[in-house]
Amino acid sequence: MSRGNDPSRLHNPWRFIAFAIVSAIVVVAFGLGFLLLPRYQGSHTPSSEKDSMYHALGFHTHANASSSIQPPLKIPTYIAWTDTTIRQAANGDPKRGEVIAQDCTACHGEKGLSTQPWIPSLAGLDPLVLYKQLDDFRSGTRLSAPMSAIAQSLTPEQYADLAAYFVSLPGLPENRGERPPRPHSSYRNHDPVERLIYAGDPKRGIAACASCHGPGGYRIGAPALTKQNETYIDQQLHAFAQGTRANDMNIPMRTIAAMLTESEMRALAQAYANEQPQQP
Amino acid sequence: MERNKLLPLAHLWAAFLCFLPAIGLGVWQMLMRSPLPAPADDPNLYYASVTAHGSIMAYVFPTFFAMGFGYAIAVSALGRPLHGEKWAWAGFFLAVIGTVIALVPVAAGRSSVLYTFYPPLVGSPWYYLGVALVIIGSYFWIALMVLNFRAWKRENPGKPVPLAMFAITACALLWGWTALGATSEVLFQILPVTLGWRHTLDAGLARTLFSITLHAIVYFWLIPAYIAYYTLMPQAAGGRLYSDTMGRVTFVLFLVFSIPVGLHHLFMDPEHGAGFKFVQSVLTFMVALPTLLTVFTITASLEIAGRARGGKGLFGWIRALPWDEPMVLAVGLSLLLLGPGGFGGLINMSFAMNAMIHNTSWVTAHFHLIFGGAVVIVYFAIAYELLPRLIGRPLVSKRLACLQLWIWFWGILITTIPWHIAGLMGEPRRYAIFDYSDPVAAKMAPLVILSVIGGLVVLSSVLLFFYVLLRTSFAPVAESMLPIRYALSVNPPATVPPLLNGFAFWNVILLALVLIAYGYPIGQFFFLHNQNAPACSLSREITK
Repeated sequence: MSRGNDPSRLHNPWRFIAFAIVSAIVVVAFGLGFLLLPRYQGSHTPSSEKDSMYHALGFHTHANASSSIQPPLKIPTYIAWTDTTIRQAANGDPKRGEVIAQDCTACHGEKGLSTQPWIPSLAGLDPLVLYKQLDDFRSGTRLSAPMSAIAQSLTPEQYADLAAYFVSLPGLPENRGERPPRPHSSYRNHDPVERLIYAGDPKRGIAACASCHGPGGYRIGAPALTKQNETYIDQQLHAFAQGTRANDMNIPMRTIAAMLTESEMRALAQAYANEQPQQP
Repeated sequence: MERNKLLPLAHLWAAFLCFLPAIGLGVWQMLMRSPLPAPADDPNLYYASVTAHGSIMAYVFPTFFAMGFGYAIAVSALGRPLHGEKWAWAGFFLAVIGTVIALVPVAAGRSSVLYTFYPPLVGSPWYYLGVALVIIGSYFWIALMVLNFRAWKRENPGKPVPLAMFAITACALLWGWTALGATSEVLFQILPVTLGWRHTLDAGLARTLFSITLHAIVYFWLIPAYIAYYTLMPQAAGGRLYSDTMGRVTFVLFLVFSIPVGLHHLFMDPEHGAGFKFVQSVLTFMVALPTLLTVFTITASLEIAGRARGGKGLFGWIRALPWDEPMVLAVGLSLLLLGPGGFGGLINMSFAMNAMIHNTSWVTAHFHLIFGGAVVIVYFAIAYELLPRLIGRPLVSKRLACLQLWIWFWGILITTIPWHIAGLMGEPRRYAIFDYSDPVAAKMAPLVILSVIGGLVVLSSVLLFFYVLLRTSFAPVAESMLPIRYALSVNPPATVPPLLNGFAFWNVILLALVLIAYGYPIGQFFFLHNQNAPACSLSREITK
């Protein structure tokens, strides 16, 4: 500190030293991360400096993927929830939808409330759900003889119109993803069905039904199940479990339903069908 | 009461009044995760509660505390009234309003996104706007700290800026730069979705932007505690600071190295290549440097005080220290907890070891140990030091204050050590409920119960803290109170190199480092394929 009285003499070397130290650290870090590390990481040893740089930047060359024989892709649905799709599905015209819906009454009921237990009620159904299912019937990723024929005769705009009409009808309660706090919705609950709905069963890899289907959870494309027909829910669970219905993106329903027992499916269907909608 | 004392006082009370309910929520959360019966047993409530607890503890509480402490330092260390007090009050009220706006939708269960947001999960826009208001309020504080720092330098050319002011300005600058990450995430990724203008967002880009804030925010919490280490503790111990220069180097290193390191929170994320992850891992080790410097300097300062008080021999000086002084005790305990906390951090930041503990309770336990054990315990001591001087009433009982600090110390240890172990056993984090009938989870049950007990000990310590503060607030007014005095160093500097007396050069270095470390990891999102994913809104209305 003896020469500390002259600030200008202190200023210059320190600035240079600080700059040099920081630069050295950065250079060493990059050398290690981009040249040395890729040589020792993973099974794929880079053949050149350029290759190891690419590896470190996150570009991976899938050299083997194209040469080996791959099984054919199984596509669960042709719907992807992009901005465009969501906009189209959510902006239908309920007036036009009402006209088209005349043809639905024979099976799905006068006002979208089905009287046949194996046919789902559509009144109040989430528009994105209806849109996706119609598209899946059209593309054949969900199978049903009458529905495939109907869906093929309609355009995507008409799907959206129908969706807008059915959601405007009173029926299935809307799943807003909200519910008042409800004690005993964890594993501490002794009722096995309630536990499945609100907490799931991690030992079998089963997520809570409510986290996507409500009440209290919402996931895009997942229908609300409250007050839906009991037999319909039960049948769909069976279909998912056996793989005869396979239009769930990322296979959550096929995975979960395959883990459920016969009596659990029935009990879940019953619990949802008889569930009283809650006021948020 | 003098007006310049009301300002820090309002901030301190705002900080601790938010802190109290957040601690209560924390204890309930521990109970929810445990096999013990919990009231209002609902996982959805748990996530709402975690969001409130995290938002308060990460954003609201430390921000109010740093702001209040900063204003107190600006007045007492610089020895002049605060420039721009009106703006300080404006910032305060903005932050208060922001806190309320953010917490209402959280309480209504519409923003259970946790304080780290986790896009593509999105909640009510009001939550993000509220948090943004708190940050905007703190920007008033940042501007005022820099303004007062520069005004003092102009009036005292060539003189070294007092260390406390130098450090709190570094803290303010650090927060100013680092908050830009989360702010741009909210502005460009989350708000357009939650306001219904868009339906998809790029989760990888959003997480990368947040990582800019996520690590440096820790040092924003830590620096006020370090200021007490360097400037308040040696005075309270009756000694001197070992080195003023070491303090300046420490705070400059924090400013430079704490931001270009956030990618180590994303080691397991697929959107980045290994190269930049490793570069930032190396830079993260640089952040351990200022803490090691501090541990050395503060231990040396404690030894100076101990020997000045007649301590002899290799360890005799430790016994000679005034452990009945809350500030000395808090810094001692904080240093002790900084040990395991810091070494845990070294594991988290190591490129390869991170994989063992990523997304386990280990991480949650780690940041509770660091924040609770090393930081908040010193916040308590600062409050014991500051509050009596602000209200002109002496601290009602140093004995009770020390007892409170001891209870807190044990509470934090009992909470976090079993929590770390459960994490090593594989307990995942961010889980509301565990099925303890599963043999894997059953093995962790005793550890989790131990953590709950620790949580209750922590709660009792906080209640005692409020008891001491309230008793002090209603104690008789003292005739005279000594003003706050900052520790002199062994060799008080007459001049310091200009580099250690200002931040212009370091801001440039910092920006260059951030550009090098984050330029490509952020830039890649603009020329790689569109990776937008549908936002997963918690309530239905957002996709309408």
